[in-house]
Amino acid sequence: MFEIGPALSRFWQIAQQAGTSHGLAPIASLVLVMAIQVGLAILGVLLVPIVLVYAERKVSAFMQARLGPMEVGPFGIFQTIADGIKLFFKEDIIPTGADRWVHIWAPIIACAPAFICYAPVPFGKNLLLVDLDIGVLFIFAISGVSVIGILMGGWGSGNKFSMLGGIRAAAQVVSYEVPRVLSVVPVLMFYSSQSLRQIALAQQDRWLYVVPKWFILYPVIGQVAFLIFLICSVAETNRTPFDIAEAESELVAGFHTEFSGLKFALFFLAEYAYVFLASAMATALFLGGGDGFLSSSGWIPSWFWFLGKTFAIVFVFLWFRWTYPRMRVDQLMSFCWKFLLPLSFINILLTGLWILWR
Amino acid sequence: MNSIPDVVFFVFAALAIGSALVVVIARNVFHSALALTLSLATVGGFFALLGADFLAAAQILIYVGGIMIIMLFVVMLSQRPAATLERQTNRQGFWGAVLALAMASALIIHFGLAYKTVVRASILTPTSQAIGRLLMGDMVIPFEVVSLVLLAALVGAVCFASELPEGSKR
Repeated sequence: MFEIGPALSRFWQIAQQAGTSHGLAPIASLVLVMAIQVGLAILGVLLVPIVLVYAERKVSAFMQARLGPMEVGPFGIFQTIADGIKLFFKEDIIPTGADRWVHIWAPIIACAPAFICYAPVPFGKNLLLVDLDIGVLFIFAISGVSVIGILMGGWGSGNKFSMLGGIRAAAQVVSYEVPRVLSVVPVLMFYSSQSLRQIALAQQDRWLYVVPKWFILYPVIGQVAFLIFLICSVAETNRTPFDIAEAESELVAGFHTEFSGLKFALFFLAEYAYVFLASAMATALFLGGGDGFLSSSGWIPSWFWFLGKTFAIVFVFLWFRWTYPRMRVDQLMSFCWKFLLPLSFINILLTGLWILWR
Repeated sequence: MNSIPDVVFFVFAALAIGSALVVVIARNVFHSALALTLSLATVGGFFALLGADFLAAAQILIYVGGIMIIMLFVVMLSQRPAATLERQTNRQGFWGAVLALAMASALIIHFGLAYKTVVRASILTPTSQAIGRLLMGDMVIPFEVVSLVLLAALVGAVCFASELPEGSKR
């Protein structure tokens, strides 16, 4: 097993030099190499929902003592790909009452930010696209743009259920964004950095050579911050205890009622890309990133650790969805503003005291 | 030779001006709000182009992710479908254009003269630490005053919005 990150960066260096020595202008070969890297990253993000949808169907099936998809491929592993092909060939319907251009652009605007957000995520040692100094803030800023896509979908469908779903989604996501950002502030204060890579690196230490110094293992502040982040991330992705935006018993399917074919697939893709992104962020911020808890420089590479932890948190997301019933709108709002928000403020205060006395 | 940033700058500039025009021309309020979102987002792009990473992210976070969502929310809650198709302009177009041109030329002349020699950073440079030091150091009093004003506005908004129960004294 080996580290992908350094090997890949060496490979891109060689590719760029090869481009230059074969008569390309230096800037042209740089742009070409970057375009290939971005294309690969987008392909990687496209793979995420394929894996996650299969995982969701299988996990929910096992939780309900069913088998889940079994027909396409061994244990049904090609089911999502078959579904994707089906969605691709489905008729694309724009309702007569819809606002045509808003309806067309809504899934694109909901989906595109999800790809951009993956840029500063370190999937292991040196395995990241750009090491942004404002990494965490960048992810929060760009992922907020997706809500506009949901609002556009709600408005542009020309349907009252879609519109109600859009309004609910906006209210919910804007509310939960606040404690979510505030829950990460203790981490940023503690490691005095906003770069996900540096935060993950700073956690590669041991107490008494055994217990890893991950932020979640710091008493009280770590666990409280992690719990608030996890709850708010579930709410941000409009998943089940908080899925009033697409509550099927009240709103048909909420903001994506009128979308079919690939447009529906794009909304779906955005949701799963954000689930994976939230898990990756939690891994980098709270669980030490690519740091293994058996040994810090063991024979298991860092990208493997990172993906393992990320999928563990993804499993928690799925577990939430198939365990809890849906909350009511007023419960949802009062839980956010009257419980999570004060708690995150207290946590910031505690972290400040900790930093003063350490 | 800074050809790529120049191309990006002109694309962003065209987008910003075009979408700002759509804001005032579009008949549908929702379309206007969406165009305003695009316009504000391109301003974030300009900040990124000038190497101010924190400002770029803050611009997107606050304007696109916060204010514009609230604005779209208000449009969706308050507008009847028929009202969104009314004209957004009145007969004062000529004087409005004169005023806008005068203001634009004043701004262009002022900033063109004042910042002729500013060198722009070609890549994103870490600025958040410096901004933090400035806000908590030299600028701490204005910063706190601004936060107090915002807090007062927030409390005031809640007071206006809250419905008092029957028979209670204000």
